[in-house]
Amino acid sequence: MIRLLLAIVAGRIVRAASRMLGRGGSALPGLVAEAIDPRTIEKLVASLSRGVVVVTGTNGKTTTTRMLAAALQAGGSTVITNRTGSNLARGIASALIEGAGWRPRVETDYAVFEVDEAAVRTLAPRLLPRMMVVTNLARDQLDRFGELDTTTSHIAAAMEHLGSVVVNADDPRVAALASGEAAAFGAVDEIRALMPADRDLYGEGTLPARHLPLAAELRAVRAAADGQEVVMAVDGEEHRFHLKVPGVYNGYNACAAILAAARLGVPVATATAALEAMDPPFGRGQVVEFRGRLVVLLLVKNPAGFNQVIRLLIDAAQPTSVLFAINDNHADGRDVSWLWDARLEDLAHSGHLFGAGGMRAADMALRLKYAGIEAWAETDFREALDRAVTSAEPGSTVYVVPTYTALLTLLDLLHPGVGRRKAWS
Amino acid sequence: MRGLVIMHLYPRRMNIYGDTGNVTALRRRLEWRGIAASVVPVDLGDQFDLEEADIVVAGGGEDTAQMAVAADLAQRAEEVRGAVEDGVVFLTVCGTYQLFGRRFVTASGEEIPGIGVFAAETIGGGTRMIGNVVVDSHWGDLVGFENHSGRTLLDEGQASIGIVRRGYGNNDSTTEEGAVVNNCFGTYLHGSLLPKNPAFADELIRRALTRRHGGDVELAPLDDTLERRAAEAAASRP
Repeated sequence: MIRLLLAIVAGRIVRAASRMLGRGGSALPGLVAEAIDPRTIEKLVASLSRGVVVVTGTNGKTTTTRMLAAALQAGGSTVITNRTGSNLARGIASALIEGAGWRPRVETDYAVFEVDEAAVRTLAPRLLPRMMVVTNLARDQLDRFGELDTTTSHIAAAMEHLGSVVVNADDPRVAALASGEAAAFGAVDEIRALMPADRDLYGEGTLPARHLPLAAELRAVRAAADGQEVVMAVDGEEHRFHLKVPGVYNGYNACAAILAAARLGVPVATATAALEAMDPPFGRGQVVEFRGRLVVLLLVKNPAGFNQVIRLLIDAAQPTSVLFAINDNHADGRDVSWLWDARLEDLAHSGHLFGAGGMRAADMALRLKYAGIEAWAETDFREALDRAVTSAEPGSTVYVVPTYTALLTLLDLLHPGVGRRKAWS
Repeated sequence: MRGLVIMHLYPRRMNIYGDTGNVTALRRRLEWRGIAASVVPVDLGDQFDLEEADIVVAGGGEDTAQMAVAADLAQRAEEVRGAVEDGVVFLTVCGTYQLFGRRFVTASGEEIPGIGVFAAETIGGGTRMIGNVVVDSHWGDLVGFENHSGRTLLDEGQASIGIVRRGYGNNDSTTEEGAVVNNCFGTYLHGSLLPKNPAFADELIRRALTRRHGGDVELAPLDDTLERRAAEAAASRP
């Protein structure tokens, strides 16, 4: 107990110091606490009255976690979550310390954590989640994560430590992991065809057979200026609602969150109301006003996610200016080969104006050139942002599509003086 | 002039590191010069006739995919070796490069037989060799990204593509990268390789056109400013 208290106090001091320095960093307090008491996580989750829900998978973790936390709160529960997207053990420890205050316990009902798909194997036995939500599995930054088969095996191993699972029935890799007890979400064929799974990325685009019955079904998504209209059926009953987060893939994320919340006792109407009010998380459809335009930030990390953003850009109401900002720091993945796996060719007739930014601006512009699309390349972030924004009419929407560390730099430019902390909160 | 046929081997299995980019680069650089190009994907068990192919491109894959492809390739070994002898242009990257050697011994000691185009063998395991690579080759600097744990050792007399100036290349004990037999190239470089290395891409095209039509082939020059910028950026990064 003393040790845990020491860990919490040390973690909180580090957190306060880090904030004073204006850093949004969210992993350090947990790292320090875990060094003092390596069982910080186990001890703190034990005090949650209703336990832990884990959200994992390749894409959609942050948004789904945010949605599920909002739905559970709307249902009357108290919830802590790792909302900054820091999803390794130290980020989870940090979130627990924050939830603990100065006491050696967390007095909320739930913790909803997004967990890195490679870390979930070791974290599941520590968190003993009552439920795990698996969004999708696709190749992702192979220099960091290794093979997709390995990632899949991590999630399969994690599943041995939980109560129930909510899975994406439209992703064959995820569906194959599910047992008969799983609650499954998916979409009608028309929508499913827009979301090819990893093994279909190079195929004919034929829809694979779906083996799991759907408890939640995404029936329609329609892009709107301020997000999208969604029609979804849960346990046979149809619901219509509006989401501020754009993109078909966020329709899937909403489906996952609403189904998970329903299985935890939240009425669907309560959950959809919570989602309607939810602002997009950090960089995931987040909208920032800048120089008289609305800049929509759409984080990309891998080909599957990039293809989803490309779909969104094709569906955009008006042709406008689009900036792809590609960095290759460790957190982005050093290898930019994945740009060649995304279907940039599909944008050739979109009417948008394209620019490429980031450390690997030239690679991105080259990718576009070979897709038959003309684009300028500018490695200076400020110049690239200015050029992209001024290429669009005042009052219009501009799409900025960055990798992770490019997003951080862009947010510093978009929120001068406020920086990343504001953007995270 | 008859167009060229680019055969993309195992696109659904061996496609892990942007290998499609190599096919795209060849196709575009032919199109930009007014030379028709068709891409024929060939997957496991598909019928295909290598005599129809001008350029064959194959990439890397996950372990399970590589095992499946090894079995398929073994059945076509003679045909592939014949095509190499006949001067068909091949670009094999990472996983298929390994399978074009004599054998691949995995980290767990399992032996996957290769088709023996290259006088080389690959031993799996140990630390992965990851990062941007610069190779000093006959076609100028080649820039790409490597990510492999297999160590490929060339027999004495087996020609390489070039000497590594940065990164590992074939292994962590010699400075050689890749292997060449006739018009068949094997390499660990992806990134994708050909878009960032237009001189090498054109060399493959030139060899294919020469084989098909005979005589000296003069390729119309293209503006490769952006290609060079991308290669410079890659070469400057870890």
